Amino acid sequence: MSATAIIVGVILPPVTFVVFVAAMLSRFWTWKKLPQPGMTLFPTSPKGKTAGVLKETLLFPSLFKSDRFLWAISWLFHAMLVLIIIGHFRVVTDFPWLWGALNIDADTMSTVVGGAAGVMILLMLVLLIGRRFVTTRVREISSPGDYFAVFLLLAIVITGNGMRLAGHFDLAASRQYFASLVMLQWPMVPENGWFLAHLFLAQVLLIYMPFSKIMHFGGVFFTQAAIKRS
Amino acid sequence: MEASDRPHVVPEITEKPKPPERETVVKAIEAIENGPASLRVYMEICAKCGTCADQCPTYYGSPEKSRNPAARSDLVRSIYRRHKTLGGKLLGDLTGAHDYSEGDIENWVQSFYECTACRRCATFCPFGIDNSVITRKGRAIIHSLGLTPQRLLDITEISLTTGNTDGCGKEGFEEAIRFLEEEIEDECGVRVSIPLDVEGAEYLYVPPSGDVLVNPEATMAVAKIFHKLGISWTMSSSYFDGANYGLFTGDDAAMKEENKHYYEEAKRLRVKNMMCGECGHAYRIFKFMMEKGKWWGELPFNVTNVLPFTAKLIDEGRITLDKSKNPEPVTYHDPCNFGRSCNIVDEPRTILQAACEDYREMTPSGTDNWCCGGGGGLAAMDDLREFRMTVSGKKKMEQIRDTGAEFVTTACANCKRQITQLMEYYGMDVRVGGVHDLVFTSIVM
Repeated sequence: MSATAIIVGVILPPVTFVVFVAAMLSRFWTWKKLPQPGMTLFPTSPKGKTAGVLKETLLFPSLFKSDRFLWAISWLFHAMLVLIIIGHFRVVTDFPWLWGALNIDADTMSTVVGGAAGVMILLMLVLLIGRRFVTTRVREISSPGDYFAVFLLLAIVITGNGMRLAGHFDLAASRQYFASLVMLQWPMVPENGWFLAHLFLAQVLLIYMPFSKIMHFGGVFFTQAAIKRS
Repeated sequence: MEASDRPHVVPEITEKPKPPERETVVKAIEAIENGPASLRVYMEICAKCGTCADQCPTYYGSPEKSRNPAARSDLVRSIYRRHKTLGGKLLGDLTGAHDYSEGDIENWVQSFYECTACRRCATFCPFGIDNSVITRKGRAIIHSLGLTPQRLLDITEISLTTGNTDGCGKEGFEEAIRFLEEEIEDECGVRVSIPLDVEGAEYLYVPPSGDVLVNPEATMAVAKIFHKLGISWTMSSSYFDGANYGLFTGDDAAMKEENKHYYEEAKRLRVKNMMCGECGHAYRIFKFMMEKGKWWGELPFNVTNVLPFTAKLIDEGRITLDKSKNPEPVTYHDPCNFGRSCNIVDEPRTILQAACEDYREMTPSGTDNWCCGGGGGLAAMDDLREFRMTVSGKKKMEQIRDTGAEFVTTACANCKRQITQLMEYYGMDVRVGGVHDLVFTSIVM
């Protein structure tokens, strides 16, 4: 194996895993245990509160009310992201019962849905980045960190699409690689440029995430719950 | 307790030697690490999507970076990032972290007193980030440095020493009440009394002092309602003003001290209900902080508000209003502290639809309503008048103009002051008053 493959595929993954899990747990634990007195307030009934928080998390109604364009691109971006994350489960496991129930071949599903999601999320990212550059009220509050987050995602999406679209990629080899990683055995890292770049960038994202604004995916439960307190 | 016995809290703070600026600011911001939870999360998750700027009355009036809500909140957030996040410590400005420099406080005072703390951004933010909480934190830090705008310090001091924000003494108040009783008798020919300091009454009515001293129709309406119902009620001649400027200056100690007088007065009078008048921030403090936040433990009285009180009476047919007394087009401005913060939205509409012939909604309204431009204590500050007229109040003027209403009602003394000035500034022939002003003119005795 090349040195790159060993660094990216063997040495980095356990580091990523430890940093990601520890930092995420510590973040959630801290948020959870902090006191919340009642300065922030936005009364609705307790029933409305849980439903309201869920609705905000799944459908972004507040954003819909404010900015339809941003709502559309960010909702599609997040929806595609969820699809893609689910798709990545196939790297370590498979759902034959699901393909059976849908009466569809897993690889066809992967090509059609996964391929479409990969292209769609690329498009949404380009629009989100464009908006950040073009819209004054967004550009004036953006720091290098805000650009870094979207460009990192863009790079991950491009390399991910590259694996699928640019030449042949051996899915079986990558499944074997991840299986070895999970079993704590010495893995055979697939020597594919797209794959190694994708794997590296994804790990950068996982390490960066707990320390960044990407935590809004977990924080939103705390903040929405606070303003929807009964 | 006589007025002169009450402690002068605010002057003592301002007379102290100035605390070291940078150290004070940085320490206060570092403390956010320990909560409140929502404030800490606000420091960490803003995605910088710009939605708040779209919904901010100040940014609408003047779209400059310094008036972008996210940029204003970044005054605090960037220092938190610099001192309390790994990225900020290692990479500084690259992650939006920025250290505090001696002298920045001047900019802080201007910026945090350009936010009306209306919480409109919080209702549109996809993450529910409530920038008003960050603004209040900023103002609390400004206050700890003795730099709160003088006008607000004066009001807080007057309120703590005299029991009301107008600085009206007991005798002056009693005289004003006797005058109102005569007014009611002149107007409807019935002797209606406004009881003072009656122990054991069902209701203690606590309006903003302006509803006694400046626009007294609301208080006269309440007197008429109680007369009609035959329910015992009272006002306190020592504590008749729910306004509490500690909410605006971020001075928690003053806010609580002020509130305690009202708690003790209601307890002393052994009333069953403390009924706030048309003052949103007073009701918010009484209901959601004093009562639900259990500032003084379990209260021996209920906290209610005059808007749901009157709306219920209308629904139940216990009072009747004669619409024909108010034929002109009327609209209602939802004060931020009643709509967004206390969810009192339907009740004023029930009252107005019964009290006038031509009720019109602003667009948007209710919890999405635009701030009058004078929220967060700004309406009281005359040196911000030009800003309130041309920047923060611009959207409100346009909303009112679009309704074609000739009478704007609202349930907040500060909104009334701001909107009255707006109508004057833009040369619009529109009257401004309280919801109960129309009850006063239309109630069938």
